[in-house]
Formats: sequence, C-alpha cells, structure tokens
Amino acid sequence: MPIPTEKPGPKAANLGDPNVATLLTWLVPGAGHLYLGRVKFALVAFAVVEGLYLLGVLLSHGMFLEYLPAEMRSRFAGALTPEVGNLGALLFHVKQYGYGVGHPRPWPATMDMGTTLTALSGILNLFVMSRAHFDARFTMEPRAKAIDPATAALATFCVPGFGQFLQKRTGRGAVMFILLVGLFVLGCWLAGGTNLDRERHFYYWAGQFLLGAPAVIAEFLHGHPLLQADVEYADAGVVLACVAGMLNVLCMLDAFAYSEETLSGVPRHPQPEGESEAKEVLA
Amino acid sequence: MKDLPFHILLFLASGTVIVTISVMFSEADDGSALRVLPKRLLYFFAGCGAVAVVMLICEHTFASIHWGG
Repeated sequence: MPIPTEKPGPKAANLGDPNVATLLTWLVPGAGHLYLGRVKFALVAFAVVEGLYLLGVLLSHGMFLEYLPAEMRSRFAGALTPEVGNLGALLFHVKQYGYGVGHPRPWPATMDMGTTLTALSGILNLFVMSRAHFDARFTMEPRAKAIDPATAALATFCVPGFGQFLQKRTGRGAVMFILLVGLFVLGCWLAGGTNLDRERHFYYWAGQFLLGAPAVIAEFLHGHPLLQADVEYADAGVVLACVAGMLNVLCMLDAFAYSEETLSGVPRHPQPEGESEAKEVLA
Repeated sequence: MKDLPFHILLFLASGTVIVTISVMFSEADDGSALRVLPKRLLYFFAGCGAVAVVMLICEHTFASIHWGG
C-alpha cells in the first residue's frame, strides 16, 4: 500500500513499482535499486551481498546442502534456509553444487564460517529487498528525522533491541535484548550447546540464526564438540533457541514500522474514523 | 509425571517471552504495551491451561477405550 503523499517535494516522482523492485532484488541483489535509478546503492548492495555469498561458497566448498541427510534432500529443501533470501545465488548454488558427489566426504576446515557467510548473505538481501520496497513507496518529504526503516531492522537483526536503541527507545530495546538473549541462553543451556550446530540441526539453526550476533558468537565460542553423553533436555533447548531467533523477526518488524511511521507520519494501526472522532468529542 | 515443576517453569518462561514480544510488536507505544501486557499474559496462560485440561480429559477417557475389544 503506497504511503500517502501529502507534501510532495523533490522526491515526489514515481520511481517504480515497489513489488517489481522487491522481486528484482530477490533475484539479483541491487537490481531493484537499479530499476529505481539508484545505481550507486545497487552496485554496493550487489557487491556486498554477492561477495559474502561467494566467499561463503569458497570457504565451504559449496557443500552446505550436504549437511542434509539423504531423506531430507528434496527439490525444495533449500527453500527454508536463510540463503533463500538471495534466491538467484541459491538457485545457481543448487544447480552448480547440488547435494554433492553422492557419497559422504569430510567438511573443509572453514565449513562453519563459509555456511554462516552464505546464510548472512541471504538475510542481508532481505533487508536490501525491504529497502527497495520502501524506497519505491516513500515518495514524500520526511515528516521527521528518523533512521531508515531497513537499517533499523538490520540493526535489530544484528543485536536484538539495537534498532530500537538507535530509535531512542532504549527501554523497549533493553527488554527485547534481555528477553530474547535470555531465552536463547536458556535454550543453549538445556541443549548443552548441541543446538549451535548447523550440521546437527539444519533447520532449527536457521531459526536461531535470526537472533544475529548473539547466536553467531555463541556458536563460534562453543565450537562443535562431539556428544559425550545424552543431553536430557536437548529437544526443548533446540526449540527454545529457535523460538528466540524467530521472535526477533517481530522485533525487526517493530523497528521497521516505527521508523516508517516516524518518517511518513502515518500511524501503524490507524484508528477507524468514527472511533477517533468519538474520542475527540469525549476529550 | 517426571519433572513436572521444571516443565511448567520452562513453559512459563518461554510463554512470558512470546507474549511480551508479541505485545511490543502490536503496541507501538510503551505505555499501552505495559497496560495490555497483564491481560494478554492472563489470556495466554488461561487458554493454554484450558487446552491442557481438555487434553488430559481426552487422555483419561478416549485413550482408555479399547476399540473393537
């Protein structure tokens, strides 16, 4: 839905269709901004997102889909990975490397770093997509100064609550950080750290990855030790850590919506006309 | 039932986080979020309690029936 243009300024020209810009970015990072005429941003976005993916593929030898056990290797298995945010690269990856050579082989020493980078590339492109959609929609002069919505959401992805902190909503950001990181730590404790392994929990890892830096730092600090004993609450821990990551999506949406609301002056949940009039009368 | 208090504690912890984050998402204003939070927590836990009761009733009735003897 386009944001209403009440004060048309120099930015008021119709740049392009937001949905087309988003879809183009999904296929090729930066293509949406190229379509909107923002060449510099497009080139930087392409270089960063595809650079991360390429580096990740080089470090992991393109083997991340080989984490999946044989019974889970379907045509659409990659659709639930973070890499799907960079669809063009993922499709090329599947075509080029697929599920490997058909028999198990040792992972390269840099496998974990590589798969983290390909996942990061996919998530980063989601923010470029949301930025393309917003840039195409936002054709009015900003009502107030505020951090760009996609940047605010990206900050919240990096550290839960950080986008809210940048928006000067410190209390809200602190509560989000404490609750989500607390839930994640509880999950890691219950699972004995077994949740921090993409090879062991391919899809749960994807949900947990949405927690950003805390999840990545915890994984690299803990390493990927072999299981020495049965972990009683491993399943509960894996689920809780994944839920913490998925709840961070709500925090990212909150950061995005707040910035958009501040810039446009349009409330997130507009009240029905009759209701707001009634409240004014009562006041 | 093994470790029932621990399971309930885990459920309360995760449920509180889920409801609180959801409230912060749906209420942009901190004041209104704080106002609605207790009600939402109550609804969530009361709803989950009701589902648990129904499941226990089903478990103690239908599950004990031997169909076709």
